[in-house]
Amino acid sequence: MLIDATHRKWLIASLIILVAATFIYVAYAASSPAGPSGGSATGLTFGIVGFGFMIFAGLLAARKKVAIWRLGRAQTWLRGHLWLGLLSLPMIFFHAGFQFGGVLTRVLMILLILVVASGLFGAALQHYLPRLMTSEVPMETIFEQIDHVREQLVTEADGLVNGVCGPSPTEQIALSGGAVAIATSAPAAALPLREFYNRQLRPFLQHQHLPGSGSGSGLAKRDDSSRIFDGLRTVLPSDAHDATRKLEEICEEERQLRRQVRMHHWLHSWLLLHVPLSLALLLLGCIHAIMALRY
Amino acid sequence: MSAGPMIDLTVDGKKVSVPAGTSVFDAARLNNIAIPTLCHQQNEKPVGVCRVCVVDVGARVFTASCVRPAEPGMVVSTNSERVKQARKTLVELLMTDHVSPCARERQSGDCELEALAKQNNLAHSRFAPQATRRGVDDSSMSIGVDFDACILCDRCIRGCDEIRENFVLGRMGKGETTRIAFDNNVPMGESSCVSCGECMVSCPTGALTNKVINQTAIAAPGSEPVSLEELNELPFFEGVSGTFLSLNRNAVVRRRFKRGEVICREGEYGSTAFYILEGEARVSIASPIAHVKTKGAVKRFLGKLSSRLTQRQSDVRDDETDQHWIHIDAPMDLSYENPVATLKAGDLFGEMTCMSLYPRSATVRAETDCTMLELLRNVLDIMQRNKNFRAQLDHSYRQRALDSHLRAVPIFAELTDEFIAGLRDKVELLRFSPGQVICRQGDHADSFYLVRIGFVKVSQTHLGGDMVLAYLSRGDYFGETGLLNGDVRTATCSALDHVEVVRISAADFAEMNRQFPEVRHQLELVERERTQMNRERLTALSSTPLDSFLKQGLMEAQSLLLLDLDSCTRCDACVRACADAHDGVTRLVREGLRFDHYLVATSCRQCLDPLCMVGCPVGSIRRRNSLEVIIEDWCIGCGLCADNCPYGNINMHPFNVFADVPGSSGKKKAVVKQKATSCDLCSEFAEPSCVYACPHDAAHRVNPRQFFAGLLQQSADKSLKD
Repeated sequence: MLIDATHRKWLIASLIILVAATFIYVAYAASSPAGPSGGSATGLTFGIVGFGFMIFAGLLAARKKVAIWRLGRAQTWLRGHLWLGLLSLPMIFFHAGFQFGGVLTRVLMILLILVVASGLFGAALQHYLPRLMTSEVPMETIFEQIDHVREQLVTEADGLVNGVCGPSPTEQIALSGGAVAIATSAPAAALPLREFYNRQLRPFLQHQHLPGSGSGSGLAKRDDSSRIFDGLRTVLPSDAHDATRKLEEICEEERQLRRQVRMHHWLHSWLLLHVPLSLALLLLGCIHAIMALRY
Repeated sequence: MSAGPMIDLTVDGKKVSVPAGTSVFDAARLNNIAIPTLCHQQNEKPVGVCRVCVVDVGARVFTASCVRPAEPGMVVSTNSERVKQARKTLVELLMTDHVSPCARERQSGDCELEALAKQNNLAHSRFAPQATRRGVDDSSMSIGVDFDACILCDRCIRGCDEIRENFVLGRMGKGETTRIAFDNNVPMGESSCVSCGECMVSCPTGALTNKVINQTAIAAPGSEPVSLEELNELPFFEGVSGTFLSLNRNAVVRRRFKRGEVICREGEYGSTAFYILEGEARVSIASPIAHVKTKGAVKRFLGKLSSRLTQRQSDVRDDETDQHWIHIDAPMDLSYENPVATLKAGDLFGEMTCMSLYPRSATVRAETDCTMLELLRNVLDIMQRNKNFRAQLDHSYRQRALDSHLRAVPIFAELTDEFIAGLRDKVELLRFSPGQVICRQGDHADSFYLVRIGFVKVSQTHLGGDMVLAYLSRGDYFGETGLLNGDVRTATCSALDHVEVVRISAADFAEMNRQFPEVRHQLELVERERTQMNRERLTALSSTPLDSFLKQGLMEAQSLLLLDLDSCTRCDACVRACADAHDGVTRLVREGLRFDHYLVATSCRQCLDPLCMVGCPVGSIRRRNSLEVIIEDWCIGCGLCADNCPYGNINMHPFNVFADVPGSSGKKKAVVKQKATSCDLCSEFAEPSCVYACPHDAAHRVNPRQFFAGLLQQSADKSLKD
């Protein structure tokens, strides 16, 4: 989600709530001889409001499960989640009087800080990464289709290389039923292409680790790849250049798919931290509320 | 040959006696002396254009024996070395005007010219072949024309004029571009040719050949071959070339159906039409008359949403039309309330399936024991061009179908029986081949047309190209704008496939408007609506001058689902919401064209030029007046619209319905039927579910022209500031 001018209303409302809560808290803290306490009426109110904000933020997950129920636009819910979830932190600080208290409250406070921090991290990622992905991955595909697209790329690349060099020896044996081994019929001038393909490009497309390649294939970086292909063209006959150009494009698509996978993981994997922590926070928050009200 | 005084002459040393006026060619033939020829046939007037029948009569030059009358005392040599050499040279020269091997030589090895060439050992000609190619004409369903194989012997022209008296064929051009031509040099399929086949059987080469179509035999179980004699005895085959029928004898078979037996099923693909010889058949639509509807959660707050089939009566759309007829591929239309009708002896059905390979529009079941002729399209095409058959069909249409056809058009519903009876003998039924222009923009408006069969494309020519305004199918009409304004045609209407229209003359149209002011009023309303719509479309088109926008076909859309990729986190909430809203089957895919940082998702675009509508055998995918594409209840699930959509935006939605078990009365079993579905914009909600469920404000349903025009303006403003 882009955090832009359309969030102004939420920002202003949140600031008003924060300023008002701060004013109340300062007045309340100044008027309490024993200092602010979560058990006081004001402290309890801060706690209820803060926990209410947390519950509302937590309900976003439930809201997403029933996406088509007309319970308010999902966009509104997400904005509420973002801003009210953020506000829950000062509310709980005001509720606790900036004290961490016992074990449960300490754990709760740490959880809250982690949840808010992970949420802010996630919001920042979701603000910047989509634009980056749009510009960096013009060949983006549906994430679940990536493996299938990769298989297609390998098939296409095989076809291009076979078109220039003839079938690989393995394929020739397969074609001849395995009865006789046929010497490769590849034109000698095109052999460097076959060698490059078998040693570098195909393993790269198939995600195989290359011995001695260090952190990865030279094809993983656009500039290095460009140099490799330029060098290859110098040793290939001109009628193989078109196939080489197409192989370079396939290589570029593979790089983009890798980039998409990385960005996709960044875009969504922070939720693996944020969501369980949020659930734990809500659960422990409930326990804390019940215990505090009962005892 | 008249029985006049006899004359004596000598042919190849043999004394012969023939009646005066006999040609040298016939004099030789009557005495068993064969003279080779190409342009001459016994049943045609000799013209002597090929000169292959040259003989030596002792004159200064050799003479063409077919046109040279025998004279008393004439000494004719048909076979001397000099004559043979001259004939050989003639054949050699003719071969330069002839592609070899021609279609006939390839098909049956009996091209007369190539046979002569072989006899004369002319494997190679000394002369260069003709440089100018004259081309082919593939427009006829049954006869292929290869002008490059034609030697201009005129046998076809004489066959058409003298034997059949159709007067369709002639010559055109000069010098090496001379060739045969149909009517006023129009493609054969568009000409007045009745496909009698006479030209084809007259042709000595492969210039006119019987077209080998993909399916030349009907292999249906229980089909009985019909002999040539039997066919000739049937009155409606009168006038059809026996040779042609003989060549196509497997393309027409007799089928017998027991009472209750299914003759064809709706949605099935086929390539044949049926002509009922005896008995009656019931035509009906077996698919549930209902549309796919997703029940909203408004009434059932916690209920799970699900799609189901809903009948029109229980779900009246806002702008429901009062259409009460379903158009099918048969002489009559079906009533919406009770979609059943009876076909009788003399009825032809399945024409659109046969001619244009559309799916069957309805299920036909034998009401009594029936006998039918099943025809492939080459035979049907010949039949359609046969005057007797046409007259019979026209009569049947005028008597039985014109009434319901006119009344099926809502604005004509109030025409009186007397008026329609008066029209019966005045209307004309016209046929058009694919691509043929029915009326042209700028022409004088002289008729009103009602579409009976096929699809008509309506387009307007503007600077920069043509713009498609609409596709019209059975039950639609056109031509009212020019007539009401007393002016010229404002658009060009052309046949997309095999089209039949009912033509009502300007005078009858004016009379109708005079007698029925309400009809005139309705027509004027329609005319104003259409004009306004076209104007808006043109304005919108001319105000969006972006190349890539045009290249991506986005100008064709009225409503696009756009995903702002700068905001979209690729969470697929939109796809899941769509699936949730439609019984688990999403109607959008988060992939498609990109325009700037917007992704045009795969979801119905409500195109201005809705190709999905072309070919629907029952006309169930159509437009509301708002131009929104909807799928009506009588969709038979054939899937043609899904195939036709260039953007893959129409899906087939399976449903279980109960259908009769064949052979057991009353028993029913669950079968899977399909209905076409496309994005319905979640019309019962304020906004589509995909947009509503997007938490990132990335999904938008927009009018592309307004939206992108705004973007362009912003971009222009920004660059001015910079």
